[in-house]
Amino acid sequence: MKSIHKLIIAITVGVGATVTSCQKLNIPPTNIVTPDVIYSSEAGVRSFLATIYTNLPIEDFKYRPDGGDDVNINGVNHHLPGFNPGNPWMNFYNTASVTGEEVGPFGGVDGSVAGGFGYWPYGDIRNVNTLIAELPKHVSALTQTTVNNLLGEAHFLRAYYYFGLAKRYGGVPIITIPQDPGAPLSTLQVHRDKEEATWDFIGAELDLGYQMMAETSDAGRANRYVAAALKSRAMLYAACVAKYGSVNFVDGPARSAGLVGIPASQAAKYFQGAYDAAKLLEGHYTLYNANADKVQNYADVFLKSGSPENIFIKQYSIATNTAHSWDATMSPRYMTANALSRSYPTLDFVQLWGNLAVTNDDGTPKRFDNRADLMQGIEPRLLATVYFPGSTLRGLTFDMQRGIYPSFSGTAAAEVAKQPNSRSYVLAGDTKTLYQGKQIIGFTGPWTGGDELTRTGFYVRKYIDYNKPQATVDLYRSEQPWIDLRYGEILLNRAEAAMELGNTSDALTSINQIRSRAGATPYSSIDLDKVRKERRMELAFENQYYWDLKRWRIADVVLDRAHFKGLMPYYVFNENKYIFLAEPELYNREYTFQKQYYYEGIPGDQIGKNPNLLPNNPNY
Amino acid sequence: MKKLISNFLVVAAILTISACTKIDNYGGPNASFQGNIISSAGGNLQTSGGSTQIRLQQIGWTTPQTIPSKFDGTFEDTKLFKSAYKVVPTNGAFWPVTDTIVVNIAQGTKHDFTVTPYIVIKNFTTSLSGTTLTLKYDITAPIAAGLPTIKDTQPYINTTKLVGAGASIREYSDLLAVSINKSFTDLTDAEKSVTLTVPNMIPGRTFFVRVGVRLSDSFNSSNFSEIVQIDVPK
Repeated sequence: MKSIHKLIIAITVGVGATVTSCQKLNIPPTNIVTPDVIYSSEAGVRSFLATIYTNLPIEDFKYRPDGGDDVNINGVNHHLPGFNPGNPWMNFYNTASVTGEEVGPFGGVDGSVAGGFGYWPYGDIRNVNTLIAELPKHVSALTQTTVNNLLGEAHFLRAYYYFGLAKRYGGVPIITIPQDPGAPLSTLQVHRDKEEATWDFIGAELDLGYQMMAETSDAGRANRYVAAALKSRAMLYAACVAKYGSVNFVDGPARSAGLVGIPASQAAKYFQGAYDAAKLLEGHYTLYNANADKVQNYADVFLKSGSPENIFIKQYSIATNTAHSWDATMSPRYMTANALSRSYPTLDFVQLWGNLAVTNDDGTPKRFDNRADLMQGIEPRLLATVYFPGSTLRGLTFDMQRGIYPSFSGTAAAEVAKQPNSRSYVLAGDTKTLYQGKQIIGFTGPWTGGDELTRTGFYVRKYIDYNKPQATVDLYRSEQPWIDLRYGEILLNRAEAAMELGNTSDALTSINQIRSRAGATPYSSIDLDKVRKERRMELAFENQYYWDLKRWRIADVVLDRAHFKGLMPYYVFNENKYIFLAEPELYNREYTFQKQYYYEGIPGDQIGKNPNLLPNNPNY
Repeated sequence: MKKLISNFLVVAAILTISACTKIDNYGGPNASFQGNIISSAGGNLQTSGGSTQIRLQQIGWTTPQTIPSKFDGTFEDTKLFKSAYKVVPTNGAFWPVTDTIVVNIAQGTKHDFTVTPYIVIKNFTTSLSGTTLTLKYDITAPIAAGLPTIKDTQPYINTTKLVGAGASIREYSDLLAVSINKSFTDLTDAEKSVTLTVPNMIPGRTFFVRVGVRLSDSFNSSNFSEIVQIDVPK
């Protein structure tokens, strides 16, 4: 009987507990962050912004123009082709290596690079759209000032994403609201806007960003001047599409519909927009000029934190697994803890500054006692951009030496024209091989037996952290920030826009500011070629020249079966001297840019989801 | 026990064999499309790798596919799905074809396209003197007005019959290109008659030779001469 009592009690307790238990489960799910949590404080919004900033299409150290593969870092699979963190270590897969600034791992500038990797960041744009839709509802929690500042930042971010799209595809669908996934398909499949409308939208968004944001910001975040700086870059692109794209183009239905191409008559409007935006930064940023040693000063432009030249930077950290690998992939193993360099500046690039004095008037190669003597009289900026034979890093000398000539007679041109097997030089397969006790190839190359030594006779110096101890120079161990927007570029944007608008005196002033910081002789007169050349020299290896070639619509002319050269140092044994011969770079690659690549094709998977994206760009 | 296992295996075998009796109800890619790209100046359009192609757009699908032209101006694809396609020749050195036609492609479908080449190379002659090859030809244009600027002209020399842009020995070909950068109407009669010399041909070897004229159209495409064989004596 007692057991029945016990049973009844047990059942009662059990039923009672069951009936009442479920009520307490009616709570908001704890694993989903609701708008209230995000928008109740500035810190909450900041955490949401972090994702939007991380995914920005910043073409930094890690940017890989062919997209690359998914990458697994510490068990996390990253799928964000092209951009961080899609290319965490192969930093030599850069746009410089398809434009002749450098030669490197890319076989040329074919479809895998110039055809693009299907960049389509509408997921990120949706995040920004959500932010813009939500922020005004939370004025009481955030204050009007904060909301305005954040809204301005959001408009800037949205413009940044659309800029990444417009320079690739021309006109794209302009989507400004977070679409409802349950809406009818017809409203979700948005048509492309015209290219002109897309650039106008970007300009207007950046104007909003300029008007609404504060004057200053934390490093890595936007302020009003960042918006103005980006506007000068974007409007210059649009202006050139209008001016040069209306002359050199591939015809097709997308062009007839205005989805790609802008009427030439609009060029002046965009050049003016670029000029005005650049001018807004005057007095707020200056060129870095802290060190009287011009070479050291220019090297430090890319390394000193708090530089007054930095407008917008992207930061990296070993602790959060975001570090890049620039130092380990741009210098030879001799000076690093790992052997992974693969792209090297060309002689063609170095000779933008003028021909190097390596040949005598009679055509014979000049004899040098030391390789370092080659650097005499070279502009400081070039010496800080490229490591020449004879320069030093981490206490070690760049001892570039392609081989040994037991003796050398005749002219440089005649020697280079010979078939390799009829040249009298001695080459070697490794650094241990000696010729009469003398090392044949340098520890730093040039050499074709492996990837990790120069094939042009030069190495990249820009952004190399020379203070980093050699043992720490390895993959994922570089933390120097990428300077996405710096005042040097803004001056060049301003000069180019001014030049195109006929304001030569303003262009000359801006260019001479750049040149005097560079340690170059100021110009007394200016023309468009000088402005463009200055841009190439100043912004080398910064992923700018690829887009410059495209917007000037000269890529198919400059990269027309193009081959590039290196400068090979040799030791002449019987004279105990060094000579330098200009020879084809040792990859011997050919670069040809097809006109259709002035635009990338709309990604096929997106057309599959949304046929309204058709017609595709010409010839895709 | 053994019996049980063998019985089980028999049943399993029967099930395996009888499974999948339904066959795929879609036809395989067994349609084909072939034909010639005919030059309005006579004969087939002479082409090269990576240039002229037939672009096919299957009706109801969004992504186009292409059939590259062979060097003799013919094309063929035997692994197409039977369907209606919009077809157009493109990417070559001929006046753009704007009329897209619709072809029902089935097994053995044939179709010829006629195009007007930008440039026709006439009177192409070769002469070998020692190891120096001399090439002479005239540049003519069926339609001169509005022709894209002529970039350059050059020989193409290779050791196989597949000779053209991207399939040639650089020293005998690309490096011997002669820049023109003029519109056709600005060329003098003398400039329209070209003589190219190719020095240092290797004795005892057979080469296949043609010449081309490159234009700055949308594809930087070239018109080519026919291919001739040159045997360099030992």
